[in-house]
Amino acid sequence: MFKKVLIANRGEIALRINRACHELGIATVAIFSDADRQSLHVRHADEAFCVGPGPVARSYLNIPNIISAALISGCDAIHPGYGFLAENARFAEIAADHGLTFIGPKPSVIAAMGDKATAKRIMHDAGVPTTPGSGIVASADEALAIAEKIGFPVLLKATAGGGGKGMRAVAAAADLPTAFATAQAEAEASFKDGRMYVEKLLVNPRHIEVQVIADEHGGAVHLGERDCSVQKPSHQKLIEEAPAPALDPQLRDRLHAVAVKATRAVGYTNAGTLEFLVTGDDFYFMEMNTRIQVEHPVTELIYGVDLVKEQIRIAAGEPLGFTQDDLHPHGHAIEVRVNAEDPDNNFSPAAGTLATVVFPGGPGIRVDTHVYGGAMVPPFYDSLLAKIVAVGRSRESAILRMERALGETRIEGVKTTVDFCREVLANDEFCAGGIGVGWLPAFLARRAAVVS
Amino acid sequence: MSPGGETAARRTRFRMTDDVIATRARALAGALAESGFARLRVRDGETEIELRRAPRTVPAAAALTSLAAEPERAPDRPPDRAEMVSSDVVGIVRLMRPAIAEGQQLEGDREIAYVETLGIRNPVRSRGGGRVSAVFVTDGQPVEYGQPLFTIER
Repeated sequence: MFKKVLIANRGEIALRINRACHELGIATVAIFSDADRQSLHVRHADEAFCVGPGPVARSYLNIPNIISAALISGCDAIHPGYGFLAENARFAEIAADHGLTFIGPKPSVIAAMGDKATAKRIMHDAGVPTTPGSGIVASADEALAIAEKIGFPVLLKATAGGGGKGMRAVAAAADLPTAFATAQAEAEASFKDGRMYVEKLLVNPRHIEVQVIADEHGGAVHLGERDCSVQKPSHQKLIEEAPAPALDPQLRDRLHAVAVKATRAVGYTNAGTLEFLVTGDDFYFMEMNTRIQVEHPVTELIYGVDLVKEQIRIAAGEPLGFTQDDLHPHGHAIEVRVNAEDPDNNFSPAAGTLATVVFPGGPGIRVDTHVYGGAMVPPFYDSLLAKIVAVGRSRESAILRMERALGETRIEGVKTTVDFCREVLANDEFCAGGIGVGWLPAFLARRAAVVS
Repeated sequence: MSPGGETAARRTRFRMTDDVIATRARALAGALAESGFARLRVRDGETEIELRRAPRTVPAAAALTSLAAEPERAPDRPPDRAEMVSSDVVGIVRLMRPAIAEGQQLEGDREIAYVETLGIRNPVRSRGGGRVSAVFVTDGQPVEYGQPLFTIER
């Protein structure tokens, strides 16, 4: 087992990893930027190194300073968390070159899954259903020919894309050339990679993802699915739950089986997530995230497995401590993302000082956060302040528990998503279960109409 | 996990930062400059910081500025200005041989140390002449971004 792990992240996930390490008897080294000097993740770690100023390019993405901090503090492994360098194959390689174990899959797998068109082709070859579409297209004309063949509406996607950038929905042939040019320009500017592909646009599908974990000795299991269909118009997740409500049991079994098959097919190791779009009785592979996900706690709470500890154990060469038959979900869990954002203003991020911070507690509530009363929310980073997770015997009890917990939550100083998420939880359509990714944007539009 | 591992984790509870060295030394150097005292020593748990001032008095209004933050400072600066030279990388500091000592007079801009990061030598320069009034690091010491290395009185 490792002696000391460098946590190459900030915020709640840095604390989450710190906790897993300490429970395993592993010392921790935090990194932080000038703007995060007072952050809790710095205080909880055994050692901490400032790696740069506030902007991420010079601190949390500063590979030489991060690797140097790991080496001079005598670390033997690096946990990248999510975001930042978590899916950077080059970083994983550099770490390995310096004798540091990267807690995640092999760099070649990260690279293959990070390129969306490649990932889709690999999954297709492994027998995983993928959305009808193309490989890389050379021009708008070629994209148009494919779109006509698979039928509109279509999605134009940058293979290096993410976070909605380099992606355009196209309803009709006439709109395609302009959409292609703008999406490609966006991808060139954001990712320095303008390669595009086309796929069939599914109307209001559900976003259902399967958690997998595999060791380096051939063991591979799934830990069920999560429903992440409550997404902001920017496609960012806001509320996640496990298991997915109102899902046909046979469809669920097929999703799980395909996920494990795909995990084995790509030679995957460590924790990962296969994201699918589900419509009717069909599902299509969207992408594979080669890291721990923000919403991993909902899976942990119903399976009783500590995914971050498992990640560390697997990276240290240990075999999985369970087989598929040992894993049985119990109850239902829901996570609400408490973001420093204004839901009444397109979820625009807010920065400032948190005057009051009171988090909920009591039965069935877990709060993962790095903030406290008086903490600064720097303008440089992701707006996630906390994840509130509720678990209950049934979906209904989990929802009621979450409503109660959000009622106990007080955060003053910046606008947050707390009250907005309470509205969503009280909504009949949400409570009925089975909504698609188009539901929240439509809910927002109806809400705005009522307000004005 | 073994209980021994847990003890090991606790035993390493040495904090490089926790505001101790980087922020506190900077604040203390400012306080020292204003106080008129010649020496200031602060002990907090396992950390002890001692700052000594060169005999020449620094005016109370002397500002302490970070060279790393203002690399393009004009050479015709006013005299008697204490400037902090801090590290802009994470690595191991290497003092030049012979090592720069407190009280030493530097003529012009020169390399006074370097910080080794992944085998790369990142020079630390004096950015002009002056008197070294404080040396905060020893040869071979790990340093973080923004960590004070020297103060130089112009």
